[in-house]
Amino acid sequence: MKNIAKKIYLTLIFLLLYAPIATLIVLSFNNTKTRSKWGGFTGKWYLSLFHNQDIMNALYTTLIIALLSALIATVLGTAAAIGMQAMKSKIRTFLLGITNIPMLNADIVTGISLMLLFIAWRFTLGFSTILLAHITFNIPYVILSVLPKLKQTNKNIYEAALDLGASPVYAFYKVVFPDILPGVFSGFLLAFTMSLDDFVITHFTKGPGIDTLSTKIYSEVRKGIKPEMYALSTILFLTVLLLLILVNFTPDTQKEDKKKSRKITHIHKISSLIFKKAVPALMVIVITAGGIFYHSRNQMSTQNQVIVYNWGEYLDPDAVSMFEKETGIDVVYEEYETNEIMYPKVQSGAIAYDVVCPSDYMVQRMIENDLLAEINYNNIPNLEYIGDIYMEQSKQFDPENKYSIPYLWGTVGILYNKSMVDEPVDSWGILWDEKYEDNILMQDSVRDAFGVALKYLGYSLNSTDLDELEAAKKLLIAQKPLVQAYVIDQVRDKMIGNEAALGVIYSGEALYCQMENPDLEYVIPKEGSNLWIDSWVIPENARHKENAEKFINFLCRPDIAKMNFDYITYSIPNTAGRELIEDESVRNSTIAFPDPSQLTNCETFQFLGDENDTLYNQLWREVKSQ
Amino acid sequence: MSNKLIDIQDITKSYDGTIVLDKLNLYIRENEFLTLLGPSGCGKTTLLRILGGFETPDSGNIIFDGKNINQLPPNRRQLNTVFQKYALFSHMSIAENIAFGLKIKKKSKAYIQDKIRYALKLVNLEGYEERFADSLSGGQQQRIAIARAIVNEPKVLLLDEPLGALDLKLRQDMQYELIRLKNELGITFIYVTHDQEEALTMSDTIVVMNQGYIQQIGTPEDIYNEPQNAFVADFIGDSNILPATMVQDKVVKMLGSVWKCVDVGFGRGTPVDAVIRPEDIDLVKPEEGTIEGVVTHLIFKGVHYEMEVLANNYELLVHSTDMVPVGTEVGIKVDPFDIQIMKKPESEDEEAVGIEE
Repeated sequence: MKNIAKKIYLTLIFLLLYAPIATLIVLSFNNTKTRSKWGGFTGKWYLSLFHNQDIMNALYTTLIIALLSALIATVLGTAAAIGMQAMKSKIRTFLLGITNIPMLNADIVTGISLMLLFIAWRFTLGFSTILLAHITFNIPYVILSVLPKLKQTNKNIYEAALDLGASPVYAFYKVVFPDILPGVFSGFLLAFTMSLDDFVITHFTKGPGIDTLSTKIYSEVRKGIKPEMYALSTILFLTVLLLLILVNFTPDTQKEDKKKSRKITHIHKISSLIFKKAVPALMVIVITAGGIFYHSRNQMSTQNQVIVYNWGEYLDPDAVSMFEKETGIDVVYEEYETNEIMYPKVQSGAIAYDVVCPSDYMVQRMIENDLLAEINYNNIPNLEYIGDIYMEQSKQFDPENKYSIPYLWGTVGILYNKSMVDEPVDSWGILWDEKYEDNILMQDSVRDAFGVALKYLGYSLNSTDLDELEAAKKLLIAQKPLVQAYVIDQVRDKMIGNEAALGVIYSGEALYCQMENPDLEYVIPKEGSNLWIDSWVIPENARHKENAEKFINFLCRPDIAKMNFDYITYSIPNTAGRELIEDESVRNSTIAFPDPSQLTNCETFQFLGDENDTLYNQLWREVKSQ
Repeated sequence: MSNKLIDIQDITKSYDGTIVLDKLNLYIRENEFLTLLGPSGCGKTTLLRILGGFETPDSGNIIFDGKNINQLPPNRRQLNTVFQKYALFSHMSIAENIAFGLKIKKKSKAYIQDKIRYALKLVNLEGYEERFADSLSGGQQQRIAIARAIVNEPKVLLLDEPLGALDLKLRQDMQYELIRLKNELGITFIYVTHDQEEALTMSDTIVVMNQGYIQQIGTPEDIYNEPQNAFVADFIGDSNILPATMVQDKVVKMLGSVWKCVDVGFGRGTPVDAVIRPEDIDLVKPEEGTIEGVVTHLIFKGVHYEMEVLANNYELLVHSTDMVPVGTEVGIKVDPFDIQIMKKPESEDEEAVGIEE
């Protein structure tokens, strides 16, 4: 009875532990793209994974970094452990404590402090900084696995070797090193695994155009999880698993059991064979190849390149290759998730980006902080294809149209279900209609929610007037009983699934919803709304300003703008580009391309300053807690 | 005997302010089996490590074969050490272990092969070339350690309690083995132990040490039969140490009676210690003894009986092959040669003072 309970308990624990990974592995062999359906067994995701140049590059970088950092950390860590072993035990304990701290320290703290240090030393973030960071956090793991081995080692064997005529160095390599080899080996493997695993520290210390598998997966996943990522994650998991098994089964030479000794010696021989032959050979190959690879890449790219820092999934990769082919300029491409992540990276100056794509309010903030260079419009003849209205709208954050060129834009409006709402919708007011109690979805974000209320009241959505904000707050509180949920991404799914009648949504999403569910209609209320614009800017410290302008000019070309629209489905400000869209219903979609008259009351968000940010957040908390 | 091979001059060594060796002087002759004997902490291992080159003396000189080797690192000394815990290289085969020193000296393959075979034969472990240390018993490992040391043809072999970890039977076998080896090799052995029996069995010369000082140097017989102070007497075998007074030369008063002895030169009326080995006390009929006593304890020890005899308020330890039952009244007789008279220490410090040669 007790035994059965034990087994059930164990099974449950293992299920909990491994169910997610099992799911991942199963999905990586699923023939359909959806997560909910099993479409038969396939290996195609693995194949397409290996055909993806970006991922292969990332894999390569990961391996090189892991190998190099583990190797260097092993050498440094072993030397440190030997030094520490020779010290008095008090000092040793103290030092061990110190070396353990980085291991226990939150990765994000380590990552940020390393980044700050590199910036302070004026290092350019890139391959070398990732390598340095990885060596740094790997050393403690090596020390931790070598030191116990050293303690176990019979102190006399070193002296015995000296006694027999060996020089100290010879004695160390011939006698002490083989004895601590299992510890060194497992330290190396542990370091290798840790390096392979690391995301956070790499994320903070990497530069443009370089990705390890983990940062690559992260940026890919952000764009929507592709099945290739399941395959990649599966491979990564299995690799780490294999390494951990190796670490744990590294034979212990100090076993007393004499019967096993022959076997141990045997395993020992194998492990030392692996360590002495296979590992170094592999390292030499990878490092040499890596050296050649990076050398050639550096040579071709140092001079003629452009470093682009863009939102994830915000540019058709084919367009990039076209640009490279046409101009011979090498594009180093890096992505970010939010304006707030991009801003400090540009501000720190650690990486000299040439082209960045911030949103409206962030453009304003960057101008105010002197982070942007004026764009020479003579170099961008294709500017003529950008609609005047967008240049006009841009003046809200770039008053003289000197720093930014609109790239993509959109609006916020109401998505409604025609089968549930039979009256015409043209005002935010319908979101306060009691008829639709529990059928309304609001955006769960402070600026979007207040934007709706402020606009409905006839105020600016950039209002900082306390009375106006108070009124908006009261309005939002009054609306609360009618609201089914405050959500962000689920607006899309819920509306498609006919779970609500009305929802506040971004136009880009609305277009997608309409394709999935023809009953849905999108409207920009007559009171006006938020019109957001993401624009290309050139940072002050850009090193390839002319290339940056060539790049922007290229993106303003109608055919390229159209390519990007097809890829991203966000509205393009490129009037000529819009004309090239084949599908008439899309070309004339009022969601993607609303009539200019609909935009007259629309505003872009502006950066309101830290104090007002706090005020907004406080009011929003009051709404939510009512 | 032959010449001085090693001359240890005024060696002082201290750790963290604690003096371990204090101005120690000692010489070792060629082809001698010399044992450093003493309780743990007496400085014997430190002295051995200084000879091996693993410790540097604070002051004093080590003269080896006429040359000062104070600054010579261990790998360049013509000595080899056999460590207490064998210190075999566990990742090498026995043959590789033995060849270690020879390979460093760049000897030819054939020479090394010969030497390995010779050394294994010498320690009675022929055919063990391809074995690994962890498949051998403690005694076998120790013999390999010795083999590894002697193939280098050292002038001196230092042995640091090499039999300490072995069981009794094996230890006794190894003692004979070591004596045989020493005789076959004809080299000097310096042997460290705290086991007095080991020391007595094997040594040509025993150096008894305590608290960093040499207490007595002599042949096993000297040390056993004529301990020069109470420490040596107590440390070497069992003994009865009795307070006594010299009546005159060759006459001593102890246990309330007057005894004949052979010692002279202590002066009349001088308080001294008298040492009598338990096996030197003869139990006779009460009327035949110098004094009388009663047997109070009796234990069978195998080779002999161990008895305690109460005489004149002193418990005397007696070893005898004849059993005398508890309660028997006996007479006590001691041959004058078997009474060893020692100077009484005047203070505790003096007890530890070294004897200069």
